[in-house]
Amino acid sequence: MPIHEKSLIRKEDLRRQEHLVLEGVDVSGDWSTFIGARVLTDYNERLQDEIAALPGGENIHRCWQCGSCTNACTVNAINPDFNPRYWIYLIRLGMEQELLRDKEIIWQCVSCHKCTYACPRDVVPEGVMKATAQWLELKGHVPTNPSMAFDEEFSAQVFATGRIEEGRLLRRFFRRTGQPLAQPWLVAIVRGLVARLPVGLLARLGLAALVHPRTPRWGRVRRVVHDYVETQNTRRRAALGLGPASKETAP
Amino acid sequence: MSDGAILVVGGGPAGLSAAHALVATGRPVLLVDKAGRLGGAPILSGYAKLVPSGEWARDAIGGMVARVQSHPRIEVLTDTRVTGFRGTPGAFEVTLSDGRTRRAGAAILCTGFTHFDSVNKPEWGFGTYPDVVTTTQVEQMLSSGRGIHCPSDGRAPERVAILLCVGSRDRQIGREWCSKICCTVSANIAMEIREALPQCSVYIYYMDIRTFGLYEDKYYWQSQEEYRVKYIKARIAEVTSDGRRLVLKGEDTLVKRPITIPFDLVVHAIGMDPNVDNREIAATFGVALERHGYLQKAPSYAGSGMTDRAGVFVAGAATGPETIDDSIAQGQAAAIAALAGAQRTAAIA
Ligand SMILES: Cc1cc2nc3c(=O)[nH]c(=O)nc-3n(C[C@H](O)[C@H](O)[C@H](O)COP(=O)(O)OP(=O)(O)OC[C@H]3O[C@@H](n4cnc5c(N)ncnc54)[C@H](O)[C@@H]3O)c2cc1C
Ligand code: SF4
Ligand code: SF4
Ligand code: SF4
Repeated sequence: MPIHEKSLIRKEDLRRQEHLVLEGVDVSGDWSTFIGARVLTDYNERLQDEIAALPGGENIHRCWQCGSCTNACTVNAINPDFNPRYWIYLIRLGMEQELLRDKEIIWQCVSCHKCTYACPRDVVPEGVMKATAQWLELKGHVPTNPSMAFDEEFSAQVFATGRIEEGRLLRRFFRRTGQPLAQPWLVAIVRGLVARLPVGLLARLGLAALVHPRTPRWGRVRRVVHDYVETQNTRRRAALGLGPASKETAP
Repeated sequence: MSDGAILVVGGGPAGLSAAHALVATGRPVLLVDKAGRLGGAPILSGYAKLVPSGEWARDAIGGMVARVQSHPRIEVLTDTRVTGFRGTPGAFEVTLSDGRTRRAGAAILCTGFTHFDSVNKPEWGFGTYPDVVTTTQVEQMLSSGRGIHCPSDGRAPERVAILLCVGSRDRQIGREWCSKICCTVSANIAMEIREALPQCSVYIYYMDIRTFGLYEDKYYWQSQEEYRVKYIKARIAEVTSDGRRLVLKGEDTLVKRPITIPFDLVVHAIGMDPNVDNREIAATFGVALERHGYLQKAPSYAGSGMTDRAGVFVAGAATGPETIDDSIAQGQAAAIAALAGAQRTAAIA
């Protein structure tokens, strides 16, 4: 049985019929949608509200499926499976299982905002992509992606000390993402620094790496920032029906 | 002209119908239009066969113009605007752009709309490629007898795309309304093209089809069933050119596929913007604009076409996108309301 539209075939839907005769015609072989029909049996009515509760997802309910975002999209031009319009449809109608099929590509949005400027309803699809990526992560459907891991390490350090110490940030990021510290490009940068920077500055950099200095009077600011971040996180997690985060975001 | 005259501003379908209704009751009319001739958009922009009558605009609206122009009790002033409007219902003083003054018992504003200017959506190629045109230009090709052609070299197109909602339903450019008639007009134009050029395929790119009421079967279905016009659910991303033909890029949302399709002629179904003069008109007549920029019309339950100023009425596309038939009906309704308004106040005074 020839199936012309290969992209529509899903492995899990294939049915092998060793001997199937319908109305006297032998139709044995691999069957796709004809026998194992892909029936949608329910809508998850919470899905749209959950995405809308995350930053960037607020306007998702406005979408009227015109496709302007998808046809303006940088990533879609390279990978036709990257389709913001389609995912927004799935989310709005609560087709969670269909959405999860694409969980490995949703985060690939490069935040170029071409979609934002094309959208006639001001949905801000870029924001929806961001919210959806966060939703996938919070719900545990995908591991924290490297860029998110970097953001988390970065924020955690700012929250703790009011400063960024690049060496420490990189070390922690590489450790967390299981990458070796001795990246050739990094080694080259460090060599360059050592060769060119004045000795005094090098000494200060080295000292900072050891003692983690804080911004003066950071304590009070830290508490305020910490409280704010906690409130936001708890609110988001609650909107997704999740309890408080297991790991703390700040000391 | 007697003090009892009623001022009608704008001589399109709405104003022509208001003027005619007024003189039919014996009221003299002062009809002022800024254009050099009467008829409004259908005449000034040279529309072809009208929806839904199928009559040529020059015959149908031309007939309305002739009826008004030849009437002894209608004073027609073209190339004229109203620059001042003072007084109270029953006794308004009207200042005209040439400095003359007139008296009027009431005023009906029938100042219509402004065609959306497609250069405001540069991604769709108007102004860049000569073969990207508007529905108004296609109407002119048909009404002038020149026929459907590509402006670049005059050839008959083999494939035409009509893009709906150009300048309507678009927050990016602050136009949050539906222009109401362009779906039906586009289906009508598509059938005219298929009729004139049977070898030419016509595709309509849509987000929704709004051929409301009785226009459903007469235009939408008929264009599909008898004229084989194809409807594609996609909003086009951009119109470019491969040097020879135009190329439409977009996503066919139903098959979830990018499309890059060559066309000879691309038609923008342009919307009906608020009249560019509306701020000035609102200031001159002391009436309010609604939030999109059209003249504000009060709810109709107490009387038709009332504004927030007693003695000043509105009708037609001045109040929002309207069809010709509705503009005509509103013109007549506003005429009745203006008569009642002018009389009532005159009696009190
Ligand atoms: C491409 C296209 C095709 C269309 N085809 C159809 C169709 O087939 N059937 C249909 O029902 N509808 C059609 N319409 C809609 C139709 O054009 C309107 O319904 C109709 O023109 C509205 O009539 P009106 O009198 O309210 O306004 P208008 O036709 O806009 O007339 C307004 C008049 O007021 C005058 N005026 C404006 N400002 C001033 C001022 N400041 N001072 C003095 N005078 C002023 C103008 O010169 C003009 O004469 C079409 C619209 C478009 C864009
Ligand atoms: S911001 Fe993301 S979704 Fe939007 S166009 Fe760019 S890559 Fe595509
Ligand atoms: S451009 Fe906006 S309205 Fe259109 S499909 Fe994308 S998000 Fe929805
Ligand atoms: S009538 Fe049709 S083409 Fe015109 S704005 Fe409305 S939906 Fe768009």
